[in-house]
Amino acid sequence: MNLRVVAALVWKDFCLFFRNRFFAAVSALGIVVYLAIYFAMPGSVDETLEVGLYAPVVPPVVEQLQEEGVELKKVASEEALKQAVADGRYVAGVVLPPDIMDKLATGEQARIDLYFAPDAPQEIKGGVEVLVTELAYLQAGEQAAVELSEEIVGMDMAGMQIPPRDRLRPLFAVFLIIFETFALANLISEEAERRTIHALLVTPMRMRELFLAKGITGTSLAFAQAVLFMAIVGGMSREPLVVLVALLLGAVLATGVGFLIASVARDMMSVMAWGVVVFIVLMIPCFSIVLPGTLSHWVEVIPSYYLVDTVHRAAGFGSSWGSLWSNLAILLGYEAVIVCTGILALRRRFR
Amino acid sequence: MSQDAIVVEDLTYRYGQLTAVDRISFKVAEGEILGFLGPNGAGKSTTVKVLTGQIRPQGGRALVLGLDIATDSKRVQSEIGVCFETTNLYEQMSAEENLRLFARLFGVKPFDSSALLQRVGLAGRESDRVERYSKGMKQRLMVARALVNRPRILFLDEPTDGLDPASAEVIRGVILEERARGATVFLTTHDMMEADKLSDRVAFINQGRIAALDTPHNLKQQYGKRALRAEVASPDGSLASREIPMDSPETARAIEDLFEHERVITVHSEEATLEDIFIRITGRGLV
Repeated sequence: MNLRVVAALVWKDFCLFFRNRFFAAVSALGIVVYLAIYFAMPGSVDETLEVGLYAPVVPPVVEQLQEEGVELKKVASEEALKQAVADGRYVAGVVLPPDIMDKLATGEQARIDLYFAPDAPQEIKGGVEVLVTELAYLQAGEQAAVELSEEIVGMDMAGMQIPPRDRLRPLFAVFLIIFETFALANLISEEAERRTIHALLVTPMRMRELFLAKGITGTSLAFAQAVLFMAIVGGMSREPLVVLVALLLGAVLATGVGFLIASVARDMMSVMAWGVVVFIVLMIPCFSIVLPGTLSHWVEVIPSYYLVDTVHRAAGFGSSWGSLWSNLAILLGYEAVIVCTGILALRRRFR
Repeated sequence: MSQDAIVVEDLTYRYGQLTAVDRISFKVAEGEILGFLGPNGAGKSTTVKVLTGQIRPQGGRALVLGLDIATDSKRVQSEIGVCFETTNLYEQMSAEENLRLFARLFGVKPFDSSALLQRVGLAGRESDRVERYSKGMKQRLMVARALVNRPRILFLDEPTDGLDPASAEVIRGVILEERARGATVFLTTHDMMEADKLSDRVAFINQGRIAALDTPHNLKQQYGKRALRAEVASPDGSLASREIPMDSPETARAIEDLFEHERVITVHSEEATLEDIFIRITGRGLV
């Protein structure tokens, strides 16, 4: 491996990247727009509680509670309620038994089941318990005997609720990374389209040096933008090393995908066409972070899931190596396959 | 001229069912300019691709500077310069940046791009992006790029095709300078006039095979017609043509008669052109 040759090729690619007005402008604009959106989003959690309620017989005092910062949303069945809480649509769910009115009237002890979302903080749990006790009190007209049964639906992430804009951080970081697949694929595709690759291949440069240079260019462009964004929005304040490693692996993944796109794309238009298809697929897992519960477990087959999940958990909740190593290992495995496949496909094209 | 810079033996290359290069053999001496002539699709560019290590030979072998191109292509490529038929420059970079990039790839230190640009008539435009260059300027820059590493062999694929006369003349001048420096030049062209002017020897390639290989002078001797053609004015004012064979015992007398009894307008030798010879050998034209 001749590092002088690699350095020359990287210098050339950076020159070409920044002289391509389209990609240079879109990359810069991307960072500005995502930062603007991030800072325009609420920086704190909405205090209004949305609580799901399943009650075959709805006590009249429920309407009274709606005006006290609590939104009780009626749900058709207990199963539907559990699912809604698990999906994150409600922070908590309350199940009132069918004989609640009779039991409150006779002073008999009533059992009320409570379901909580994994990320429901302790304050909300306490608040919902107070709410239910108050509901029983108002309905009974005196201190009522109620037995509260609590169940966490999904993984318990008590005390770890994050503001909405911080949910967007991984989305934007991954967006910036994946967008660089377009730029890299276009750089490589242009080498073939303009036949400059033939001029390179009759010099002492070896194919592996070319791929290393392209890899360095693509990875550093994607990585630098994502790190810059995360640094500005405070995404490096918790577990910065884990976040950096995840972003680096993500940038390598983008490079591999760029190689694959370049191996099939003939010009800039076909780079865009193929790129959009891949881009949409890779962005799908991001929505499981922004809109929790909207996607099923099948998103885990998409490699970017392990990137976005790692960044979200490390930057948002301070998860460390111990709980994220498997994500990073799977991501590494995925990109090893994608990068190798991309290189093989490109070698065929360059011949 | 001394050792052989290029030795080709039974070289074969196929694209699927089509045999582009069919067991050709030839040698090029160091410091020689070989004109490799043939129509489009004759196998010229495929031969250049093999000799420059872009594709591996499927049969036979090619030694370039004593190295087998199939196994030592990178060592060969550090000693050669290649100018492609179609423009393949980094057009968003300047001429100086293009040359500096290739100098770094070849490990040329120190590198003076301005002297090279001066040689091809691009001094003063070195900082302009190549996308702003004319076709002739781009082609001259392609030639300059091929010279970055002071190559021992220069492969030029149709270097003056479609160029303005001034640019073509600059490139021809550079080719002759390189030969004078001691470089070997492998010149692929279908411009027979150019090949005639520049080449020490020419090879005619047709349908993947070498149909003839010799100096232009010998080919003309072997295949040409030695005659004088005169244009004379008839008494009624119309023009007529007279042909006088040059190798006949009667030649001198015939010339004397011509000037004595006719009003001669023009006289030319009827030496065959390389194109005439190519057509005669291969039975086809150069397009």
